[in-house]
Amino acid sequence: MADYDRRDGGGYNPKKRRYRDDDDGDRRGGPRRRFDAPPHVRVRKQLLAIAENPMRPWHEEVQSIANLFTDNWDDELLRTNFVDLVLQLAVEQPMKTPFLAAVVLVANTNKPQIVDMLLAKLTSTLEIKIAEGDWRDVKLYLKLAGCLQSCLEGDGVFPVLEELFSRAVDLQTASSEDTIGTELVKIILLTLPYVMVTGPTQWQQKAADLMEKTEIIAGEAHPLQALIEPYHPEAGDQSPVASQSCISLLQTQLQNEANNGWALSCLPRPWELPVEEVEQQEKIANAEKHTLPPIAIPQTVVAGPRPLFPEIYFSVYANQDVESTPPLTNIAASLIRDALVDTINVLNFNRNVTARFLIELDCYFAPRTFAARATPFDKIREIEPPKSSWKPEDVAVDAVFSQLFSLPNPEHKLVYYHAVLTEACKLAPAAIAPSLGRAIRFLYRNSHRMDLELSNRFMDWFSHHLSNFGFTWKWTEWVDNVYLSNLHPDKAFIMGAIDKEIRLSFAQRIKNTLPEPYQSLIGPEKEKDVPDFKFADDKTPFAAEGKEIAALLRRKAPEEEIEPVIERIHSLALDNNLDPLVASTDVFVTSVLHVGSKSLSHVLAAIERTKERLTDAGATSEAARTQIISSVMEYWSAHPGVAIAIIEKLLNYSILTPQAVINWAITTYAGATRGEALAKGFVYEMVFNTVVKVTSRLRQVLQKATLPEAMIDDETIEAEINGMRSLFRAIEDALFAWASGSKDEMLEASDGLGEGDGTSETEKLVKRWGERWLRVFKRRAAIEEAFIVEARKERERKAAAAAAELAAAPAQGDDMAVDSVDAAAEVTA
Amino acid sequence: MLNTRQRSTVERLDRPSAYFFNKNRRNRRHDRDHRDGENEDSNMHPEAFDDPLKDATTLYVGNLQVYELFSKCGEIKRLVMGLDRLQKTPCGFCFVEYYTHQDALDCMKYIGGTKLDERIIRTDLDPGFEEGRQYGRGKSGGQVRDEYREDYDEGRGGLGRQIQAERMREHDHKRYDDNDEQYGRLR
Repeated sequence: MADYDRRDGGGYNPKKRRYRDDDDGDRRGGPRRRFDAPPHVRVRKQLLAIAENPMRPWHEEVQSIANLFTDNWDDELLRTNFVDLVLQLAVEQPMKTPFLAAVVLVANTNKPQIVDMLLAKLTSTLEIKIAEGDWRDVKLYLKLAGCLQSCLEGDGVFPVLEELFSRAVDLQTASSEDTIGTELVKIILLTLPYVMVTGPTQWQQKAADLMEKTEIIAGEAHPLQALIEPYHPEAGDQSPVASQSCISLLQTQLQNEANNGWALSCLPRPWELPVEEVEQQEKIANAEKHTLPPIAIPQTVVAGPRPLFPEIYFSVYANQDVESTPPLTNIAASLIRDALVDTINVLNFNRNVTARFLIELDCYFAPRTFAARATPFDKIREIEPPKSSWKPEDVAVDAVFSQLFSLPNPEHKLVYYHAVLTEACKLAPAAIAPSLGRAIRFLYRNSHRMDLELSNRFMDWFSHHLSNFGFTWKWTEWVDNVYLSNLHPDKAFIMGAIDKEIRLSFAQRIKNTLPEPYQSLIGPEKEKDVPDFKFADDKTPFAAEGKEIAALLRRKAPEEEIEPVIERIHSLALDNNLDPLVASTDVFVTSVLHVGSKSLSHVLAAIERTKERLTDAGATSEAARTQIISSVMEYWSAHPGVAIAIIEKLLNYSILTPQAVINWAITTYAGATRGEALAKGFVYEMVFNTVVKVTSRLRQVLQKATLPEAMIDDETIEAEINGMRSLFRAIEDALFAWASGSKDEMLEASDGLGEGDGTSETEKLVKRWGERWLRVFKRRAAIEEAFIVEARKERERKAAAAAAELAAAPAQGDDMAVDSVDAAAEVTA
Repeated sequence: MLNTRQRSTVERLDRPSAYFFNKNRRNRRHDRDHRDGENEDSNMHPEAFDDPLKDATTLYVGNLQVYELFSKCGEIKRLVMGLDRLQKTPCGFCFVEYYTHQDALDCMKYIGGTKLDERIIRTDLDPGFEEGRQYGRGKSGGQVRDEYREDYDEGRGGLGRQIQAERMREHDHKRYDDNDEQYGRLR
């Protein structure tokens, strides 16, 4: 696909595209150089581009590639390359799999050997992937095998699916928390339709038997499911749609499909030729059958490189009055989503190609599955059945959002999914932008009932997306919400999004993109690049000392010159009944920040030069530690992004501890603002980043510890784990007080107003923020605990494997064993 | 198992450009521009004409925005803004240093080619910042790229239209201290 990208010049012109990579490109009368290329190059090019051209009938393209291949059968390079390329495409561009299978089926009529070559490599690769626990690749290879079912002997892939199922049962019986078994059932259910599409009548009984078994696992809600629900509605409220796990949906959709004679109307059937080619069609049907080599599946299967979780079907187009995406009862919803999500995640190394797949989605499914590209939503409304009202753009971007809003984490960094949406919007703005607009409205409407982590992802994506498109948005439609309390979730979203926009641009510019009522949300202090230095004002206590320290820092004066000023502050503070260290810390930190106010590099250098004094202050008392954070947050209050970045660096220098940051945010600052801090995006960001820092550090240690050569002892690991646990405990305790309304500041506040019954609107809002925060960090804690369990298992497994290898080595008795014996001797010595 | 040397079926965006490997073997129309990646003028964005940013050139603003955007790919260890050699003002490129190589690759894949305040960001992997490389190498003090562009589009001033972000490769915490002296000198 991308082989042609450059030549295309980037323009999006479907008419022009039609000739782009035709193998018979001479229609254009252009240079025929391509025909000089050796067959293996031509076959590669054509296979890579298979099905991309919507103007070319599938049966023609498939036969032409198959013939070009079999006509040049003597070319050994071509033969081996073909097998490798088919297998690689199956996992790199999974939407093309049915078309690859069709080429193989046609080639089978002429050179049946190719199928045996392919199956041999397919099964040996599958075995490796199963052993490694690379479950997506397993699924994608099985999909290819499934599409080849019509040329397989006996029951074809069914025995493999049954074997996988028996593993799933073992795993689920052993532990109800098991996620591998769930994943295996998902793979089975997603392979089944591709088998059935090759010959529905022949396999009906087999399919029914298998589905009867999978029902037991797919029908039951996974215990981890509650943890990863995208919605977290308030008591008395409801999620926009009842959450359903992907496998339970699949199970019922397949059941519907079975009742419907396995119509599978969305799947392409490129091996079906038009009636006039009945002879060739018969040849395909009667071509040689091949035995699928046995696939060894180890007794114990592993979770693999990606942590597994049950998945929940998420859609931003739920509850629309028009069916612009497949309904949840239809298997198409799961099949198209699955193919898109794989494409998106596999092709993370080229988002441009991903975006093109999204826009050209309809090329890879049966004709008439979708409405015409770029049909406006209003026109979709007018479409009458049996014509499809599924809007390809909605289906495509919905798949990206499903990843962006998947818990606990999508496969790639969130910014990847931002970039895919940006790219899709750039490629086909008229088609994609309106779909995104409806998605934004849905998310905004439901943001208050979404999990808080997801609301924040929405805010982050929204501001980043707008930054790529001139910050234009129809802000007027939310204008009423500007007047809400800052504690209201909609207002909090608006404020957070505007802050993030400013961080990617600058205040004056963002102000100009907003309607008048919003402009008051951007105070004049935001337009200053460098904040005011409070000690420049002589009325500020310690103004003289502040100015003096700033001057000393600016000329990089030695420590001995600073010390006397600090001492002067201490004695002044004592005279005024202030905590001396807190007072001097505020003066000193604020001066450091002011000296480094020009850029982040400047402030880093300033911190670097003063880190000893800062570390000492932080280490001496909790009050001083808290003051460091307060000073940073106060100085940079107009630009919280900078403040957060500085806090992050102070954590790196160990001047601050994670506990101090969390304590400042959820207790000190939240207390001082009577809970309003919990509604501020940057406060959440600060706590979240700190937690991520701690947990990713622990993960690194645990991962390293699985390597026997890393020699990390249990004590080190335990200490790290305990550190993380106590951090999570502290967070939960502090948040519980807010969520339950037992926080002192809340009680005091309501006392003042004379309504201590916990029912005032403000109190309700604060409690709700507390609940939402609590859920996020409880989940993070649970996810990390699960990771610890898996890492321990992995560590034991590797240690056992190493021991087994060591024990087995001397018994081998060949030349190779000598080295191992030596190695073993070394280890025991 | 599939051959790991196999090239991908689609081009990868996280490969370094040929700049550092082969400075001379470039056959493009404007071979004078040997500092930067390929020219993107042909598909420049229309917003360029009413660019609201044409006066916002302070070091601080640029620095903050770059930090905000680039940290979406991982924590940033160091940011060195490119300066005009003569005027010591920003001239449109910078070095962004991450803690891990993976973050740098992700930046190539997910940020290169997107916009930051109306300017398209072009990224390239870089073997590492050295003192002196923060200065533009053009005759006028700025980026070579800008000079070349001025030949065609006068009235754009010396400010580059695009930020060239070059990144350093993987770096571990230990080397951080080794760099301190040099780091301090950057101010």
